Amino acid sequence: MADDQQQASVKFDRVQKSFGSVKVLEEFNLDVDPGEFLVLLGASGSGKTTALRILSGLETPSGGQVYIADRNVTDILPKYRDISMVFQSYALYPHKTVGENIGFPLKVRKVEKDVLNTAIVDAAKQVQLENLLERFPRELSGGQRQRVALARAIIRRPSVFLMDEPLSNLDAKLRGHMRAELKHMQETLGITTIYVTHDQIEAMTLADRVAVLEKGVLQQLAPPEEIYNDPANLFVAQFIGSPPMNVIRGSLEGKNFLTNGAKVKTPVTGKVEKGILGVRPEDCSIAPASSKALNGTIYTTELIGDHALVTVDWGDDQIAVKAPKDFKGRQGDKIGVVLPSDALFVFDETTGYRIR
Amino acid sequence: MSDASFKFEKHQRSLMERLFEPPAIGKMSPVAKVVAYTFLAIWSVFVLFPIYWVIITSFKDAAAVNQGPFYIPFVDFQPNLDAWRAQFNDDRFCDIPAIGRQLYLLVHNSFAYIVSPVFSITPMEPQICKIYLAFTNSVVISIAATALCVAVGSMAAYALARMTYRPKFGNILVFVLLTIGVIVVTTYNGVPWWVSTAVALALFFFFVRSLGKHFKMSLRNNDILFWIISQRILPPIVVVIPVYVMFQAVGLLDTHLALIVLYAVANLPIVVWLMHDFFVNLPIELEESAQLDGATRLGIFWDIVLPLTRPGLAATTLLILVLNWNEYLFAVFIATVKVQTMPIMVAAKNAGEKGVFWWEMCAVIVVMIIPVIIMAILLTKFISKGVLQGAMKG
Repeated sequence: MADDQQQASVKFDRVQKSFGSVKVLEEFNLDVDPGEFLVLLGASGSGKTTALRILSGLETPSGGQVYIADRNVTDILPKYRDISMVFQSYALYPHKTVGENIGFPLKVRKVEKDVLNTAIVDAAKQVQLENLLERFPRELSGGQRQRVALARAIIRRPSVFLMDEPLSNLDAKLRGHMRAELKHMQETLGITTIYVTHDQIEAMTLADRVAVLEKGVLQQLAPPEEIYNDPANLFVAQFIGSPPMNVIRGSLEGKNFLTNGAKVKTPVTGKVEKGILGVRPEDCSIAPASSKALNGTIYTTELIGDHALVTVDWGDDQIAVKAPKDFKGRQGDKIGVVLPSDALFVFDETTGYRIR
Repeated sequence: MSDASFKFEKHQRSLMERLFEPPAIGKMSPVAKVVAYTFLAIWSVFVLFPIYWVIITSFKDAAAVNQGPFYIPFVDFQPNLDAWRAQFNDDRFCDIPAIGRQLYLLVHNSFAYIVSPVFSITPMEPQICKIYLAFTNSVVISIAATALCVAVGSMAAYALARMTYRPKFGNILVFVLLTIGVIVVTTYNGVPWWVSTAVALALFFFFVRSLGKHFKMSLRNNDILFWIISQRILPPIVVVIPVYVMFQAVGLLDTHLALIVLYAVANLPIVVWLMHDFFVNLPIELEESAQLDGATRLGIFWDIVLPLTRPGLAATTLLILVLNWNEYLFAVFIATVKVQTMPIMVAAKNAGEKGVFWWEMCAVIVVMIIPVIIMAILLTKFISKGVLQGAMKG
């Protein structure tokens, strides 16, 4: 399947967008390779959906150019861009049957009836809907509606897929299932896909590369493991990971980070008056209170299942630690937290920049 | 909290509480029920009695009307068919072939009108009883006017709901001034109208492309919508004389076309206003999705938007149809002989020298209200709920 598909690259060149005085995108640059699965990750209001809508042509940029397959499409109508999009709300046509919904993109292109019907059945088979073609959207479950939207997007074999939070209306279990299916389908079809989400797990699991956006600015563009292991700045560090990275305020002097009267050895050197020490909960460990650890009191303990999450008060901050599931500490107990010297990140609190 | 404010079992409530409190959320208390249904019953009598009165009066003779009031047929008075015979039997053109003749007359005259720029066919004079003529006139005019009005109005409403318009005040002012200029030079200086119009259009476009760009103040979609609605605020009686003069000048007095255009224009603001609301409330993702799928704008309108606003469209159509069917003021001025409509016919029963023929008037009214009732029943089938169910979310 993948080889007969025309794979297209996508390029945002200094794209800007403002609504009145509100700047939603500032100088947005992004290169997407042919056949890549790229996830635009960001909180609501970060400009990720706007970027997608500019690429689809539903929104015009205030400045900059957009390219699909090296063709400048900035001023081209959506229907000539050879893209298809899955909306968060699915946007199924309620007065059309499943089959008519799936076939709509071909029908408006005046495809012959028998070709159309074969294509509908083919697309429906790919999402296991071939028995529901006569139903109406209102007679389907949420997951089935999602599949109809997907089938409608793939029937035309576009150069680029756009997906705007397609899984966020599904319940947790179905979401996991559809995620795997989506990834499998994209890999099989090999179509360049741009996927917008606020869910970092979706981003980590689906993406070839993740683009993290915040306040209209691209924070980091990297494969998931790099985003996780080597965050470019404080925002990315805090946004990725569940539970999020611990943030410990203090100051950096030389190789040592001073916080709440304690001294922690860091892998970096420098001098920062207001600094932040970042460390992931799973890299920390619990130990009896001692001079080698940061000593605090337990704020709360939560049993997650395969591990226990222990939150420890440390000065004005809290440190979350993944502890073994048989951890028996109780609220108010004195406890020590051991930080690994090789998995520490130091940030400048005022700018958010990473100190390397 | 005292125990008295909690009543877990129904029998703990006092008689007054049982009378005045609803038994469950979403239901009415017994007292409220009595009040509401009494009011509804009285209201129903108010609404239904005139219809009953019209129907029985159409079966009365002069004596039964004038010596009345008589309420119950066969008891108070002996019903007869005098009024109905006066409409159908006493007219020498009223026979069964009259229906066929009337249909042929319509086709013939429409054809004659359409080909009139090329060669002339003499339009047929109506040789038919008055009530057939008025009825077919009413049907043709109100259906054609409603179709035209709803088609144009809903497209305008959709455009206003989904596209952004920013006409600038300066350009509007220039357009108005140029229009006045065209009228002045054409009327007083004898310039041919097509010369002045062409010059004015050229001047207008030149102006818009050059100086017009520098204007700042502009109207928005909502201002345009209000401007359209405001046309309906003007009472029709104010415009009826100018409209009469205008149709006289173009030679369209007493034609179907005049009434169709007039009714369509008069009701356009209502259609735009009602349909705009339905279009604005449609989820825009459906149209965006169709755009990405490759549908044209007109295709989206036909295939996606109109089916989803069908209930609103049906309600609007019904309203306009009834307004057109009942219209009297314009008809009495424009439709003098050949295209008289049913309301004119009803009013004509008031004009005899022997006083008002109430029984005949009521017979005509019965003929006039039956189609409205049938239409309402047919169209309410389209006014169903839940069209949008299944479009969005899970």
